[in-house]
Order: sequence, then C-alpha cells, then structure tokens
Amino acid sequence: MKLVIERREISSALLRFSAPIASIGIALFVAGFLLLASGVSPLAAYKEIIIEALGSIYGLSETLVKTTPLIFAGLGVSLAFRMQIWNIGAEGQIYIGAMGATWVALFSGIQNHWLMMTAMFFVAFFCGGLWAGVAGFLRARWQVNEVIVTLLMNYIAILWVDYLIYGPWKDPKGFNFPLTAQFSDTARLAEYFNTRMHSGFFLALFCALVLYLFIERTVWGYEIKVIGSNQKAAQYAGMNTGMAIFFVLFLSGAIAGVAGFSEVAGLQHRLQHGISPGYGYTAIIIAWLAKRSAIGVVIVSFLMGVLLVGGDSLQLLWQLPVAFVYAFQGLILFFLLASDFFIIYRVKLVKGVVHA
Amino acid sequence: MKKTPLLLLVILAICFSTNAFAVSAVKEIKPGFIYVGPVGDAGWTYAHDQGRQEMEKLAYVQPATFIETVPEGAESARVINGLVRKGHNLIFTTSFGYMDATIDVAKRNKDVVFMHCSGFKTAENVGTYFGRMYEPRYLSGIVAGKMTKKNIIGYVAAFPIPEVIRGINAFTLGVQSVNPKAEVKVVWTQTWFDPGVERDAADSLLDVGADVLTMHQDAPATMQAAEARGAYVIGYNSDMRIFAPNAFLTAPIWNWGSLYTKLAEEVHNGSWKSEQIWWGMKENLVQLAKFSSAVPADVQALVAEKTNAIKTGSLHPFAGPIKDQSGKEVVAAGQIPKDGDLLGMNYFVEGVQGTISK
Amino acid sequence: MTEFLQIKNIRKTFPGVVALDDVSFTVARAEIHTLLGENGAGKSTLMNVLTGLYHPDRGQISIAGQEVHFTSPRDSLIYGVGMVHQHFMLVPAHSVFENILLALDNVPNLFNRKTYKDKIQKLIDEFDLDLDLNTPVWKLSIGAQQWIELIKLLMRDCQLLILDEPTAVLTPQEAERLFNVLRRLKKQGKSIIFISHKMREVMEISDRVTILKKGRSLETLDRGDFDESRLASLMIGKDKVPQWQKTLQMSDEIVLDIQGLSVRNDRGLSDLDSFDLQLKKGEILGIAGVAGNGQKALAEVLTGLKNTNQGRIMAGEKDITNSNARYSYIAGIAHIPEDRKTIGIAPDMSIDENLIMKSFKSGSFRSWIFQNKKAIRRNAEEKIEQFSIKTGPDGTPVRYLSGGNIQKVIIARELSEHPAVLVALYPTRGLDIGSAGYVHKVIADGADRGMSTILIAEDLDELLKLSDRIAVMFRGKLIGYVNPRKTTREEIGLMMSGETPGDAV
Repeated sequence: MKLVIERREISSALLRFSAPIASIGIALFVAGFLLLASGVSPLAAYKEIIIEALGSIYGLSETLVKTTPLIFAGLGVSLAFRMQIWNIGAEGQIYIGAMGATWVALFSGIQNHWLMMTAMFFVAFFCGGLWAGVAGFLRARWQVNEVIVTLLMNYIAILWVDYLIYGPWKDPKGFNFPLTAQFSDTARLAEYFNTRMHSGFFLALFCALVLYLFIERTVWGYEIKVIGSNQKAAQYAGMNTGMAIFFVLFLSGAIAGVAGFSEVAGLQHRLQHGISPGYGYTAIIIAWLAKRSAIGVVIVSFLMGVLLVGGDSLQLLWQLPVAFVYAFQGLILFFLLASDFFIIYRVKLVKGVVHA
Repeated sequence: MKKTPLLLLVILAICFSTNAFAVSAVKEIKPGFIYVGPVGDAGWTYAHDQGRQEMEKLAYVQPATFIETVPEGAESARVINGLVRKGHNLIFTTSFGYMDATIDVAKRNKDVVFMHCSGFKTAENVGTYFGRMYEPRYLSGIVAGKMTKKNIIGYVAAFPIPEVIRGINAFTLGVQSVNPKAEVKVVWTQTWFDPGVERDAADSLLDVGADVLTMHQDAPATMQAAEARGAYVIGYNSDMRIFAPNAFLTAPIWNWGSLYTKLAEEVHNGSWKSEQIWWGMKENLVQLAKFSSAVPADVQALVAEKTNAIKTGSLHPFAGPIKDQSGKEVVAAGQIPKDGDLLGMNYFVEGVQGTISK
Repeated sequence: MTEFLQIKNIRKTFPGVVALDDVSFTVARAEIHTLLGENGAGKSTLMNVLTGLYHPDRGQISIAGQEVHFTSPRDSLIYGVGMVHQHFMLVPAHSVFENILLALDNVPNLFNRKTYKDKIQKLIDEFDLDLDLNTPVWKLSIGAQQWIELIKLLMRDCQLLILDEPTAVLTPQEAERLFNVLRRLKKQGKSIIFISHKMREVMEISDRVTILKKGRSLETLDRGDFDESRLASLMIGKDKVPQWQKTLQMSDEIVLDIQGLSVRNDRGLSDLDSFDLQLKKGEILGIAGVAGNGQKALAEVLTGLKNTNQGRIMAGEKDITNSNARYSYIAGIAHIPEDRKTIGIAPDMSIDENLIMKSFKSGSFRSWIFQNKKAIRRNAEEKIEQFSIKTGPDGTPVRYLSGGNIQKVIIARELSEHPAVLVALYPTRGLDIGSAGYVHKVIADGADRGMSTILIAEDLDELLKLSDRIAVMFRGKLIGYVNPRKTTREEIGLMMSGETPGDAV
C-alpha cells in the first residue's frame, strides 16, 4: 500500500466551501491541546475569543478597526494576484500612502474637512501607486522580478518614513521624540459610537465593491483576467501586457496606499514608527485565502480581525504567553493553507508494487 | 415602555461617571501592565516586571495582569482598553510608543489611573514617570574611562530619541571627566529588542577596536559579544552579569519597585494626582549595579564619592560648560540645563563619534 | 500469439467526468498494435494509466500473465513498459550519451562508463541509426531526438513501447525510417503500442487496431479486416465528416507580399532567412516543411508577435512590417496558433470570454467602460450554434473542453471579423477526423468568400488535399512552390530536406 497524491480535475463547490471551515475546526481542535496543556479550558477560551471580538459594540468596533487596513491591503495584493503578479510590497505601500496623507494633513494648509479628506485620499493613492509602479515599470520594461523589487522597496519605504519622523517632519513641540505633530480635526476621519471605529471601514467596503465591479464588469477587468489566465494568449490577442502590468501594480499599490491614509487619518492621527504592524504581509495571506475575489478579501480580513483581536484576550484573561497567541494564529493559518492543498489535490491509498 | 426609565438611568449614570472625576481611595488595587518586550528579555521589560512583583507584596494589591510584546502605536490602545474592561484600575504602560494610546483610552475611562513611562503627555487621570538614568550612566562612564586601554569605547544604541541621546551624552561626559582622550563610538540598531542585530552591532564596534562596550538595548546580546571577545562591558536595565561573568564591570539599572509601591499606596489612600515623576539616584529609582571584581578599588572609591555628590545634589552630570560635537558651547559654565531641555536633548556632546539623523 | 499485456475492464473517473468507462484489449509479443480514437476518446488517460501516472478505479492490468498495480512511471518501467512522449524529455545542453545515462537506474561510474557506451553504440549500429553519442542534443534534428528517447527505453530493456503520435514531427522520409526500426523491434519480440491519426500510417504498420470511443474499447480488428474507410466510420461513428467542395477561384490580386524577411532568434540563429512569399486573394497556400524550419517564426512575424531583422511585409497597400498583434488584427490578419492551449486561449475563462478576446474593445461588446454581458452571451450562443461547439454548462472554463472544441472556439473567434488573411498553424494537429474535417471545411468555405489562407501543416495528405499551391520551407528559406495536383510526395519530401527542385531527379 502506498499514499498517492493526485490533482483533482474539478473541485466541487461543496468542497471549496467546506474545506476551509473544516480546517478551522481542526486547527481549533489541535490548538485545544495546547490550551489544555497550559491549564486553560479550550471551550472557555474560544468562547472568550468570540465574545471579545464580536460580543459587544466595543469588541466589534475593535475588530472592524483591525479589519479596515487588512481589507485595503488585501484588495491591493489580490488585484495583482489576479494577473499573476506578486505584490509583496503592500507593507511599504501602506507606509508611503500614510506618508503622502500626512504631508497633506500637516503642510497643505487646507481648512475644509471634505477637501482635506479628498486631498489626503488621492495623495495617498498616488504615492502608494507610484511606489508600486516602480516595480511595475521594471517588470514591464525589463522583466525584473516584481517579487524582489516590491519586497526590497518595503525596507526603503519604512526607513524613509523613519527618516522623516526622526528628521524634517518631527513635531517641533514633541521634545524631539520621533513623531509628527498630531493632525487637526480637519484631517481626521469621523469616529462612531465613542469607539475607535472610523469611516475608513466604510471606505474599505466601498473600495471592495468598486474593485469587484472593476474586475467583473469592465473592459479593463476583462483584460486583467485574460492576462492573469494566460499572458501569452493576451499578447497573441493584441493586448499591451506591459502597460497592463504597470497599471495593475500601480492600482494595487494605490489601494494599499489608501490603507495608509485610513490608518493615519482614522486611527493614529499622526505619522510614527510602526504605523503598520505587518498588515502588508498579512494581506498576502488574505489574498491567497480569498482566492483573489474582492468579496472574499472582505470576509477573510474580518476573520483575521477576529483572530487578532480575540487572540489578545487569551493573554489578558489567562496570562498565556504571547508566543502562545502566535502559535494559535499560526495553526489556524497553517490548516487553512493546507485545506487549499486538499481542494486542489486528492490523496489516495493504492496498492503498489514493492520496489526491489 | 418599561425599559425607558432604566435606559435614562443608565445614560445618567454614564454621564456622571465620566464627568465626576476625582480619584477616590481605591480599596483593592488591580494593576495591569503593558510590556513592550517579553518578560524574559533580561532587560527593560524584565526590570519592570521585577518592580511589579515588588508592588504585589502590598496586601491590597491583587496579582497583576501583564501583557507582553504589545506593539507600539495605535495597536496598543485595544490591549490597554482590554485591561480596563477586565476591571483593572491602575494601569502601567511601559514604553514611549504607548503615549497616544494611553491618553486615548484614559479619555474614555476616567475612573482608572494610568501611568505612562517615559512620555510627555499627561491628563487628569494620566501621570508619567521616568528616571534620571543619566546619573548612573555618568558614573558608568567614569568606570569605562578608567578601564579602557585603547581609548575606544563602543555604545550600541537603539533609536536616536532624546532618552537614548541623553544616556550617551551623560556616559561620554563621565568618560571624559577621567579620560579626555577616550572616544565613544555609537552604532544605531533601530530596534529595542533584536538579539541578532544587537550582536552584529556589538561585533562591529569590537572590530574597530573598542575594548569597553555599553549599550542602550533590551537584550543582553552586547554582553555576550564582549564576553566572547574578551572585552569589558557595562550592562543596562538590570544586573546582567550572568551573561558575561568575565567581561561585566557594572550596569546602570532600574529599580522600579519603590516607585510602583509608592504609586499603589497613593492610589489606595486617595492621595494620587497626575504628575510627571522624574526620580533619580536620590530616590533610588536608578542606581549602579554592584561592581564586579574587575573594577579596581580606586575606581570603586572614586565612583562611590561621585555617587554621593549626585545624591546630595553637589554634582550634576550636565553642569556646564558643555560643548557639542562641533565644539559649540551648548551649556554655559556654571549653568545647569532645565528638565525640559534634558527631556528634549537632541545633540551629541564632544567626544561622541556618531551622528543623529536629522 | 502470446499475450504480453492484458488490459481488462479499466475504468477511470474524475469528478464529473468518466474518462475511461470500460476498456479491454490485449497486446501480444511481437505485435504493433494501434490505438485509434477521436480526441477525448480516452487515449491519453489510458496511456497515463499504463505508465502509472493515474490509478484506475476498477479493472486489471496484467503483464506476462501477472497482475500489476503501478503507482508511478518507475513501477511501469520495472515491468518493461515505457513510453515515448510527444514532448521529449531531454536536456538540450547535454550530449546524447549523457541524456541516455540520465534515464538509467544504475548510473555508471568511471570504470564501467565505457561498457555502457559500447552497449549504446551497439544499439545504434544494430538499428542503423544516424546518431553520434557525443553531440549535444540541441544540435540534433527532432527525428534524431526521437531516437534518443527510443534508445533510453531499449537500454532499460523495455518489452512494451508506447509511441504517442511519433510521426507528427517527422518528414515522410524520417517517418519511413522510424517504421523500419519499429518493424525490426517487432522481429526481436517487442510489443509496440502506436498512437496516430494518419490513416495511411495506421494502414501501413499496424498488426491490429483497437478503436477507442467515448472511454470504451469498441473493437479490435486484425490486419486484413480493416481499411481506411472502415476505421474512419468506426472511429467517428454516426458523426459524419463534414463535406466540402473547393472551387478554384484564385484571382491574381496579391493580398500579402513578403519580401526578404529575416528573423533571428534568441540564440542568434536565423529562423527566417531572406524569405519571400506571395499570397493571392482567395488562395489556400500550403506551407510544407519539417517542424522547426521557420514556420512558427513566419506565423509570428505575420501576426505581429515577433519583429523582423530585415525585409518587408505588405498587406495590400498597408505596410505591416513589425506591427503589433493588435494592428495585424485590425489589418485583417487572423491567426490560428500552433499551440492552441498555451497561446490560443485563456484556459480559466469561459467560452463567452474567450470568444471576444480580440474584439472585446469593439463597440458591440462594451458600453462605456463596462462590458456588455448580454451581447457577449448572445455572441457566444451564435458561435456555439454556428460552429457546433460542444460545451459544458454556461461559464465552464474552456480548459475542460476537448482539443477539437477548443480549436473550434479559436476558429470561431478568428473568423468572426471576416479576416482577409488567415494564418493557420497546424490547425488539425491532434484533432480527430471529424474535427479536422470541420477545420478543412471552414478554410475552404472561407476561400470561397475570398479569404486567403496560409496553411502550415505537417500532414502532406492534408496539404495536398486542401492547397491551391504549396510552398516548401527549409531552414528558414523558401525552397520553391509546387502544384499539389502535379507533384509527388517524394518531390516534396526531397524539397523538405533542402534540395531545390532543380536538383531533384
């Protein structure tokens, strides 16, 4: 007998739907033993995660606060994935977008709230877009691998922002601490229910909708899909694939850049070190799990938000070490990715010859 | 509608609870801590955690909840709020990056006392606390100045923020007070806690000939580097001699226990009020760890003498005249800079080899 | 007749698809056994089962009377079953000898290297193959590369050799040599499974023929019991081969004029070398030549996928030299690409979407920036009807379609804008008789309407039947034109190996 892995020709809708759910179940089951070993009842812990992340206005608002940048970044990354372009640089694009929005907020002198919001949005959009566009240009023009370029440009972006907040943009009244001045109310997004939830969330949903329509309904979306499905066929059909690659990476980075705008205008109200604790990298996992669909990105981002917010409560309530929370989140991701494997492949036990 | 009056009552209660702020005596203190690193870092967070344990000895202080490795920035607000929601009434946020989040959460939770370490923003229920680490830094500089043979001293430093710059300057002034020929070379790591990066930085300083190292980091990697290469090292945060039994000289260390105990007492008896606490060696918040046997008796005696002078106020490390790297006089002779100037220090004194990114 | 391989009631399903329903047949020792079937009849699935890539759901495979279960190609090789694939698995930079060594289980060491070399050389001599062991593979012709694949299997002492359309890439002369080798192998007692579409070859070499249809083995016929028409009618069953009639109505108007075209490839070698060609209106111009002699480059240059180094292409009055693909399309040049799955379609997308791949920007399929889904759907319905494309439920990705239906999708798309010139590269390669007949009909009907076609094909019968003129290519040069109604296969064969008509005896 021997185990054999085979590619499935067609994976059924039922399987595609049930496999991720089953994998989350298995992950919770396995993590349960870790919890038991730490002397915590798994059921109580899971209940606590759900209550913490969803059980109150406050918890829900925090989950949505967390979900917001993930949606933006996830949308950006998933748009590029649509075309088999790997944008690993959402993290840097968030920073550059935040930088652009901050520049408008601090130095443009705009007094009108709506004008300010619009200006911050578009500057963040173009900053993120041009940042990713560099990789797009290099890829389209000289076939430079976009994975390397976008990844390395993350470091440049983060260090560039560091330079600004340690140097020219440092708050003159901030005792030389590496922070920009706080934004005035003009440059802040609306907040709701006396929580930290801000209108960036709705902007993210709106973005998801627009992107969905863009991909599924427009002529350009069609072109992107053809190129993503088969670049040679697209060239053969007379599409300008180079231009499309640049355009898609631009748009991908622009949307990630808007995440930076939403974070500084909605939540942080200033530019500082560490404005994104790795949202751009989480976005890659999100885009992968969302199977490149804009609606999927929203759902997965929300789940990820629950996981991140709920995970905190494990530390809070049972004093589990932070390493445990990481292990727990890692387990869930691991099993989700594994479920992907079983959607694409089947494993069979077959009778086999014995090799002499 | 039966529920309407109840609802009104609740709303009223909320209004009152938010408006009527006054720290009344708290019978049972349930403290919470937000840590920037793991408690096992042997450094900054470890020192705070020692203080927490000492505070917990008070009868009316319940076991504290602490949360490790909380990212700085807006992210931390949720964790701080989580502590509030779990009924903690005295919350310590122990890193600079928690400043905005602390103020933000405090605004919504006026019945909880917050203490933020190393920042500059206060509110009616938010106080700040920090220590004059530059005092023991200066003393450790004297030790380094006496011990170096090559007159090159290496300093592994995290971020170019005033707290770190102040430490480097005080240390250098200490070095130069006994050895004007010695120089202090600074390498930035841009991280508080990353043993790998810190080790690389330390090694690079040893490579250019430093024979005494010190650092402003949370991990003991610099200690280990010095031990491995036979140099001397001065620790930081807590007594780290177990990491470098031969290389260790001394270390300027934190002693948060006394302050935490005092704050718990104040909150307990209702005398707490928002203030900016900046204690020094006099209050025993900061001190120099016990010397190792490598430090000669005459150096030990000299440092003991200077320690006394600092405690009695007759010696201030930053007393003028002080020149910056370019030779320009920044503190005139006979002057002592104000606390505000010290808190925002943004230049290197003469004798430091390194740059502050501008 | 002793049976070597026995296949009994093999069934293999994929979710939603029955690839093999019930297949049984036997292959004797010293037999050349042909498998004949339309595309989608299950030939490739069957071969994958035989070589251990797939595992049958049911049924038995016995080798020399012993039941076997293969889980990988290694297993099947242990039992002496080996296959020469359509795409060779060779390392181009390595020598012939090294490539053969790679395929062996016991890699020789320094000491017995010579023994192996002698052994291989003996095989080469025995079969009279024209192969030098020290030549790097990339310098060899396709035919010679095929020898290497064959030697690999013989070195492993394979008793059953499976050849998947081996003549597709060969000149008629090379094919004849291959057949000679196969006959000699047969004499040595080897069993051979031969897969081909070319009736002439099947008739020439087969001892027995098994016909596969819709995943079932329909019938096995002995030599003498079959002729071409019998096989064809069994294979396609009730489906009729489309009938077409070609009228000669070529005018003298030149629609495409190629002069002195030279194209160099990435390695700096010439794919096309001062190539000239004139295409007349309404003409079907066949291009004969062994694959790899510049046909692909010619098609790519004409359709704007490749740039020239020298020369000029005029489409009527328009100069389309070095234009891009979109411009060639607008200039009225349609293109049926050689590799339909890797170039012709976007495999993950539906028929609807594939049908508009070239015209999606045009007014009828868009309103402002949005796609006009209704018009796109209507277009697909029309084309599916008109070209009788067999498809799954709406929205099925085209990669699930059979090769013939994929080709129909491509043709439907290419012809929808009534092009002036059609460049068709191996348009019937891998298609069954029914689909191939359909492609021929479309081309012939197009000619009636005044469309000119450049037909690049490997099957001389196809070219002779369809073309008004045949141009022969060799190493990127035009060797000459022949009249299909006057020439002989031998004449074309000689020209395909580079002899100009004048040299031909």
